[in-house]
Amino acid sequence: MTEVLLPDLPARLQAEVPTTLEGVDAVHDLLAAFWEQQPDVPDLCRMRVETATVEIVANVVEHAFAADETSGADGERRRLTIAVGRDDTVVTVACRDNGQPAAIDLSDVAMPGDDAESGRGLAMALQVLDDLRYEHDNGRNLWSMTCAL
Amino acid sequence: MIEFDVRTLDTGVGVVTPRGRLNMVAARQFKTILGDLVTEGTHRIVVDLAETDFIDSSGLGALIGGVKQTRQQGGDLRIARPTESVMGVLELTNLARVLRPRDAVDTAFDD
Repeated sequence: MTEVLLPDLPARLQAEVPTTLEGVDAVHDLLAAFWEQQPDVPDLCRMRVETATVEIVANVVEHAFAADETSGADGERRRLTIAVGRDDTVVTVACRDNGQPAAIDLSDVAMPGDDAESGRGLAMALQVLDDLRYEHDNGRNLWSMTCAL
Repeated sequence: MIEFDVRTLDTGVGVVTPRGRLNMVAARQFKTILGDLVTEGTHRIVVDLAETDFIDSSGLGALIGGVKQTRQQGGDLRIARPTESVMGVLELTNLARVLRPRDAVDTAFDD
């Protein structure tokens, strides 16, 4: 059974998305559907949440699942679940996957130089969010993103 | 989720218009389009961002790659008419001062 992410938030939307590049487009669609249900979320907050979520999901697709074509790190089928939710004060996104653990120290992430062609993703996510957390627990990765309303 | 319109102005400047989301899915195709233009001899390129709803780090990376490729050939890549969403990301990444968005496609190479 699919685990429910962000169960405590009064408004939420969740989807399992492809663990491939197409997952990124699916995330745009999920967020667009959520914004339609929540018209009072300001454009700036939408942009911040969309930017961060797309960067994190792109990172998961590229790194967590890069080593194994068919199954997740736990031997189960590859799985990537995204949930977006809100209450009166914040929009929160949770991204759970069973890929390889991320070898990343978020306190060490910095925006690369102007001429860099890659390496901006996590720095951008950190910059737009009020809080970004990563944990690896029980063979699964969980990214939690928060943007204040 | 994205379409690219590619055309050449009378001045020889190549214009690429991405319509939709310039994310990781689209960035590979975008890179190829820019690379092909440079290989074919178009060394001045304007990327018209008026219909680009979203840009992520891979889209930005493709733009920076295009700037480097064109400058190596004595040309340049310039961006024009970014949407509010794209402008927000350019400012966030400090790339607005590097890429210096222009107000119009036709005059992007006037200075």
